[in-house]
Amino acid sequence: MFIAATLAILATMVLALVRAFVGPSVYDRILAVNAFGTKTVLLIAVLGYVTERPDFIDVALVYALINFVGTIAVMKFHKYSSLAGPPADRDDFADL
Amino acid sequence: MRHHSVLRASAKILIPPILLFALYVQFHGDFGPGGGFQAGVIFAVAFILYALVFGLEKARRVAPPAVTHSLSALGVMIYAGVGFENVLSGGNFLEYNVMAHEHHTAQHLGIFLVEMGVGITVCAVMITIFFSFAGRGR
Repeated sequence: MFIAATLAILATMVLALVRAFVGPSVYDRILAVNAFGTKTVLLIAVLGYVTERPDFIDVALVYALINFVGTIAVMKFHKYSSLAGPPADRDDFADL
Repeated sequence: MRHHSVLRASAKILIPPILLFALYVQFHGDFGPGGGFQAGVIFAVAFILYALVFGLEKARRVAPPAVTHSLSALGVMIYAGVGFENVLSGGNFLEYNVMAHEHHTAQHLGIFLVEMGVGITVCAVMITIFFSFAGRGR
């Protein structure tokens, strides 16, 4: 059953990759890469059950966190052309 | 990024678990996947997320360059210090067995200290690399 789940997740990963390559807009690609990352998390978790190594859950958790931060970084770079962001004005520091 | 309140709130919620998970990877590294390098990277990801959402200037206040530079040297010093302590105690470089009387205690202590040094250095260097890349502009 886990093998079937793995194959199904791989199929959806291929679909996400196709969307990432075809585009057409940047947002399609970002969303496709984000979905691909989520599928990777699922794939790692399922593979942990297939190979009977529950340690893989830790790896999947790390991948989920990094995927989230990576998506934010790409979107910010797309919008502001810089990872440092727009220069902060004074009241931006008020809620520090 | 001031008007993205969902992003700011989710970042604020996510940063503490990321730091906690990094510590878990660091201290659980001898029983599961993980270790100093991975834990350092995950710990640095929390600071990178903070810098992305709240701006580089604020993040530089949280982790000033003076602190990150000193920490990156401190980690190497811990690593090399453990090695040379073993040499001074009559063993080889990084031969943990001379650190304590019992074999397991010595191995545990040595690996713990060395991994801590690796984690501190990797975390500080990752933060420094991101800050200098992000601060450079396009």
